[in-house]
Amino acid sequence: MSQLQAGQAHPIRPPAAPARSTAQAKRRLADGGYYLFFGVMCVLVFVPILLVLFGSFKDAEELAATSPFSMPSNWFNWDNYVTAFTEGNMLLGLRNTAILVFGSLIGNALLGTMTAYVLNRFDFKLRKAVLLLFMLAMIIPSYTTEIARFQLIHGLNLYNTLSGPLLIYIGTDIMQIYIYTQFLQKISTQLDESAMLDGASYARVFRSIIFPLLLPATATLGILKSVTIMNDIYVQTLYMPKRELATLPTALMAFVGERSSDLSALCAGIMLVLLPSALFYLVFQRLIFKGLMDGAVKG
Amino acid sequence: MKPSLASSRRLVIFSFLAVPVALLLYFLIYPTIQLFHYSFTNWDGYSPAMRYIGLDNYEKLLFDFPEAWQAIRNNGLYFVVHTLFIPVELLTAVLLNRTLRGSGFFRFTVLMPYIINGIAVAYMFSYIYNPINGPLNELLKAIGLESLITGWLSDLDVVNYSLIAVSLWRFAGVHIILMLAGLQSIPNDLYEAAELDGANFWQKLRYVTIPGIRTVMEIILFMNVSGALLQYDIPYVMTGGGPGTASSTFGLFSLQTAFTYNNYGLASAMAVSLLVLIVLFSSLQNWIVKDRSERA
Repeated sequence: MSQLQAGQAHPIRPPAAPARSTAQAKRRLADGGYYLFFGVMCVLVFVPILLVLFGSFKDAEELAATSPFSMPSNWFNWDNYVTAFTEGNMLLGLRNTAILVFGSLIGNALLGTMTAYVLNRFDFKLRKAVLLLFMLAMIIPSYTTEIARFQLIHGLNLYNTLSGPLLIYIGTDIMQIYIYTQFLQKISTQLDESAMLDGASYARVFRSIIFPLLLPATATLGILKSVTIMNDIYVQTLYMPKRELATLPTALMAFVGERSSDLSALCAGIMLVLLPSALFYLVFQRLIFKGLMDGAVKG
Repeated sequence: MKPSLASSRRLVIFSFLAVPVALLLYFLIYPTIQLFHYSFTNWDGYSPAMRYIGLDNYEKLLFDFPEAWQAIRNNGLYFVVHTLFIPVELLTAVLLNRTLRGSGFFRFTVLMPYIINGIAVAYMFSYIYNPINGPLNELLKAIGLESLITGWLSDLDVVNYSLIAVSLWRFAGVHIILMLAGLQSIPNDLYEAAELDGANFWQKLRYVTIPGIRTVMEIILFMNVSGALLQYDIPYVMTGGGPGTASSTFGLFSLQTAFTYNNYGLASAMAVSLLVLIVLFSSLQNWIVKDRSERA
């Protein structure tokens, strides 16, 4: 599983100075404990996933007759995957999830950087009021207002459209504006001021200086936002119950509803939804770790 | 003619802020106000008419709605178990902070349950808990603990713990990684100085590590509060809040009150209460943080 290894460097331990054997034994014991601890942890994390993987390659008979811990007799039995993929509408789900993620990323990156630019670089009459508004909004957990928001989405004829959830994802993410503003505070105003002296317009300064300088923040924010959207069913089940608008998780929910007795097909469905997110994690692990860890220490 | 600087300033301020502020007002502030408004009515969610009934919804919620209290107790259980688990998470983070062969892979593994799709994870555990030939029961049989076998998702006394176990599986990793970030922010000299003074492992933990990660621990405590109060998708997917309402959470139950039982007014009162609880706890948290730093 070496390809799963996280991207950090693994420095080889420096050669130990000749120590007395008790110290060495003690350290070996500590290392043993370390590996035992994380061995157990890996079992706890990977075994449930492996069990579903095993189940996904067994047909219904084999699943009922064999132990769930036994490997499938045929690793090339893709029937369950074909069933889950076609009847579970997984391709459609992937498409809709992708639209929500990319749409929201673009919208958030643009609006977030624009808002942070104005709030951080300009002093104007209503600045305090706008800042207060954002602070107020930050303490309202978006999910608690869903019952009332449902009426709004209906009123705008956005029920059962992708635009409804997109607008909610883009419009109610206050945290990112806060983070962009913090990030911008650390960037000196010299660059934009000298560009202005050279005759650049505000829009030009934003486009060629501010937006590119904020790209690192955009990358980590975007990755974390993608994780949130891919995991969200609250907004997606509430506003897009229509079959054609199924996303990966809601497609899986519908599939489970229809085939609740067909465990082996369900296992394949679960794997099909897990797989894209696991790939996403593999590809973006550095950014994910950086985003989470920076946020914890600096935020 | 080029527009004057002042007017182009105003233009950029207005055009850059108009959309985000409008979205915020319309999709967050306005619904919040509406929520309060609905909570004083008996509205069913679709009739053109609604009647104002004052504080009746809140009265019912407080004195005549045992299901809601059951649900909020369940939220409390999520909070308690997650909080009791913090020492284990902290130990994991401390160990993870050592760089040994494989530690990169262990970090990757720790966070994985948090990143992979949460709905698929919930269904995965439904399979694990399956009463017929399910892996958990088979495991118990294999190690001679058949007596422990129970209806993991159907026994009223067990179901919440089964669901909380899933929540721990999913969210412990992100707590551990945040703690790790806190640990890495502690300068190494502090440990070296403590060692020179002859501090042992526990003393270093008590006087260097724990003060050094206080901020992160506060973030995690807050995540535990709001995460427990907003817990929704695990019970929704795995039990639908059942059997009956035994494993429902407050958020899930308020949605069901609105959309299944068509009692919009009552559901709004529940949502307002949830909102107030979260704001209350977060300001309590802020107050505690502020109080401590002033004393320090």
